[in-house]
Amino acid sequence: MTAPVLDKTDYDVLNVVALKKMASAPTIVTDTGLAADDVTTVLTGLSEQGLVVVAGDAALPTNEAEPALAAAAAVYYADLRGDADLIELVDRFETVNAQFLTTMSSWQQIDVGGRKVANDHSDSEYDDKVITRLDKLIARLGPLLDALAGHDARFAGYPRRFAAAMELIDAGQHDLVSSPTKDSVHNVWFEFHEDLLRTLGRERTE
Amino acid sequence: MTGFTLTFTEADPSDVDRLGGKGAGLARMTQQGLRVPPGYVIGTDACRSYLAEKAVPAGFVDEVFSRLTELERASGKAFGGVGGVGGPLPLLLSVRSGAPISMPGMMDTILNLGLDRAAAVALAEATGDARFVADLVARFHAMYSETVLGALDPGEGIDALVEAVDPAEAAGPVYDRIWAACEQALADDTGDSVPDDPRAQLLGAIEAVFSSWNTRRARTYRDHHKIPHDLGTAVVVQSMVFGNLSADSGSGVVFTRNPVTGEPGLFGEYLAHSQGEDVVAGTRTPDPVTEALAPAVLEELRATCAELERSQGDVLDIEFTVERSDLYFLQVRSAKRTAEAAVRIAADFASEGHVDLATALRHVSPAQIRQVQRPGFDDGEVEQARAGDRLLTTGIGACPGQVSGTLVLDSDRARAAADDGRQVILARPVTSPADLHGMIASQGIVTATGGSTSHAAVVARALGTTCVVGASEIRVDEAERTLSVGDRTLREGDEVSLDGSSGELFTGRFTTSTPAAATGALAALLGVAAGASGCEVLSRVTLPGDVEAAREAGATGLVTAVDDVLAATGHIDGLVSGLLGDAGIGAIADLVAAEFTPLLTAAGDLEVGVRAIDLVADEARELLQQTAVTTRHPELSVPLGRPALIEAQLDGLARALRDSGGRASVHLALRHVSDPGEARALRDLGEGTGIEVGAYLTSPRGVIGASGIAEAVDVVWLEVRAVQAAMFGLPARQLLTAEPLDDYLQRGLLSCDPRSTIDPSVETLLGHAADAAIRPGCRVGMRLSGAVSQEAAAQLHVLGFRRFAVDAAEIRPVVLALGKAALDAGA
Repeated sequence: MTAPVLDKTDYDVLNVVALKKMASAPTIVTDTGLAADDVTTVLTGLSEQGLVVVAGDAALPTNEAEPALAAAAAVYYADLRGDADLIELVDRFETVNAQFLTTMSSWQQIDVGGRKVANDHSDSEYDDKVITRLDKLIARLGPLLDALAGHDARFAGYPRRFAAAMELIDAGQHDLVSSPTKDSVHNVWFEFHEDLLRTLGRERTE
Repeated sequence: MTGFTLTFTEADPSDVDRLGGKGAGLARMTQQGLRVPPGYVIGTDACRSYLAEKAVPAGFVDEVFSRLTELERASGKAFGGVGGVGGPLPLLLSVRSGAPISMPGMMDTILNLGLDRAAAVALAEATGDARFVADLVARFHAMYSETVLGALDPGEGIDALVEAVDPAEAAGPVYDRIWAACEQALADDTGDSVPDDPRAQLLGAIEAVFSSWNTRRARTYRDHHKIPHDLGTAVVVQSMVFGNLSADSGSGVVFTRNPVTGEPGLFGEYLAHSQGEDVVAGTRTPDPVTEALAPAVLEELRATCAELERSQGDVLDIEFTVERSDLYFLQVRSAKRTAEAAVRIAADFASEGHVDLATALRHVSPAQIRQVQRPGFDDGEVEQARAGDRLLTTGIGACPGQVSGTLVLDSDRARAAADDGRQVILARPVTSPADLHGMIASQGIVTATGGSTSHAAVVARALGTTCVVGASEIRVDEAERTLSVGDRTLREGDEVSLDGSSGELFTGRFTTSTPAAATGALAALLGVAAGASGCEVLSRVTLPGDVEAAREAGATGLVTAVDDVLAATGHIDGLVSGLLGDAGIGAIADLVAAEFTPLLTAAGDLEVGVRAIDLVADEARELLQQTAVTTRHPELSVPLGRPALIEAQLDGLARALRDSGGRASVHLALRHVSDPGEARALRDLGEGTGIEVGAYLTSPRGVIGASGIAEAVDVVWLEVRAVQAAMFGLPARQLLTAEPLDDYLQRGLLSCDPRSTIDPSVETLLGHAADAAIRPGCRVGMRLSGAVSQEAAAQLHVLGFRRFAVDAAEIRPVVLALGKAALDAGA
């Protein structure tokens, strides 16, 4: 017998927990836009269903979380998966994603006479150009994010997080570009990519 | 003329406020006699006026156009096609923003401005290539749409149209076709249109530069960096040259020396019959400049490079174009280089003698020295492993580093293993955001999928973790917890080694060793630095085997500690029971005598500073069972509380010195001394032992009383980190880690980073010790722990300190830093 499909709010919260592998209630509030009290209630419910383990301030997904999300996504996003206009935008995402990753790499490494060397960030003009390019690439996600938000409002959380990271970067906090331990542009993008794959029921290839 | 503009020839290159960085640079190059494509700068005052009035100032447009006429004359080309004053080649322009301070959000360059139908026809005639012209038209339209009109992805689908153009086609219809297609695409996208009149394009581009001063990103940046909002930006308008006119035209990039190795001689690439973009796009393979350039042009390039290198005292990265055998310089800037090249270049500059030593050493940093001497796999072992069957597979090196560790195939287990203190190499078929915690915990990451720009590679580089991606032969069986390549299978928990440069994954471990760091160039460079600074730099050592490496690195002496040496030689239990009084103090003297004999033998005739057992410091808490010992013997919580313990160490050292042949000059220094009374008591204890005595000052009180203390003892060490921490009222260990201070500083809560800079309050304090340092009779030195910044070394040098003791890995970086500080002070 198949388990009942997750409630949509449960889905949104569990999705954040699974994407991050470990998420605190305040982070879930930021990412989902839900109220703090609601998040606490949902986490308790998910814990009772055996989908998360709450340890102290943080929630972790159990092994049952991924299959439950996949099953629910197939139901909730059946329409979305059949939206030809949206799928066309998704296909374009592959190009933007490749450009994004190349740009991230050029933030981290510079080319010296044909060899890649760690960027020591001593050339602010170079860094500014990379940041400008990141800004444009994020803008290029706009149509896809808008289209996704048209099906499910939770996708509006991504532009908000990108904007917050870019704001801090412009204020000089350059670790918000690619730090894996902060809500950096790369982390937000990486999570969005994963979320998109789950939404569409596709497998990650790299 | 109303004076909003200045040509590169007229402008004063030092007036960066008016010309902006780029404009000033081009004016300087022009006035140095380099052949720079002619152009002019619209000063920041015009921008200010535009921003205030929301319109260009009166007379501005006329001035821009009359400059254009001058440009036509100077370049011999005609703007907006034939019919101008100049010859048959069209004048195309680049328009760039150039603020006095570089900042994000400003308008990008627009190239190839001026390409109307007549110009396109003329250019096709000159190049004989209608497809090239079609490409330029498309590129210009896209660039203008994006930068001036804010279109997001302009030019989509135009590529195919350009590809389809026959180079021999008539250019007029080609221009019409491409332009119309671009306009249609733009109209569908944003509803905008690019003006087809080149003069309107020029004005549009200039206004777009002015407006970009106030983009949200630029404003945020200025707010944060406290840059006034009313500076305004300059605009650089420059004529373009063509590298694709003929066989004797072309474009290239040249470094005045090899930026990878530092080897002297021009290093770069040239592509005949091409524009700069072709080199970047990689559609055709360029040739080495030294082979591809015509002899006369090469000779001119060589001579100019040599002259520029001397006048700027740096290795340069130069963009150039050859237009019908005339060499034009587009950009000259300081070359980016590898750490190895930086060392070699500085050493060569110093020995060539064309620039002074301060200049020669300016472009090499302590961080680069650290990188060059970083330990890696033993070369011999790696060769054997390759020759044997230990090389499992080779992927794509994504983040350099060489690391051995335990193979783990799952991120949760990787973190658990790391928490157990193991070095982990995480192998995954593919990584998702849910693997981040495992990647953070690991020392090495290898994935079966992905290229050098995959998410895994980006994360690994952000973490500085050794990483190999795209090792496609790897099969990970998650259920069986095995990793196999072909018919070879490894189990989770097996040892493996990963090389993040070569992309190699080996079975088993490798010994790591410091590379043969004293290569000619590094040794020569450090010789110059040491000679310039006249400083003594002592190295921290613990075992006899450390001494040779310290000597090789250039240490002039050694420092060590009784508790460290006894811990490293397995005598910590004996020491603690001696301290607790179970075995008697005499046992400690015997341990010191036995374990210091080999160390002093290895030291030969070097100076050896020995720190006495310290039960006060944080670090003693676990190692020496501080609580148990000081509960039973509260007198051990003050430096001279138990004179017999100091006597035992002096006795042990004296015996070790005798047994080692007596060549070293040895002192025993006591930590936390803050009073001349303590210093005198210490001197009395040392009397007649043959061992000198010294004090480690760790408190502001000790530093202020340094002169009085120095009168009584032979050696004074000032522990800079401890004193800084005391002045900030923070535990000293917080000055060795990234957090919590990184975050704290970012929030603007401290005006000085106590980890890299000597705080002004401490500088004042150190002034007291500086007086003592110049008096004969006592050797006063700075004990620095952890990585030493160039800034801190320079501050201490300026204060007059010439004697330092540092961690073993910091000898070379500090020798360089002190040499640079001395040369800069003398320059």
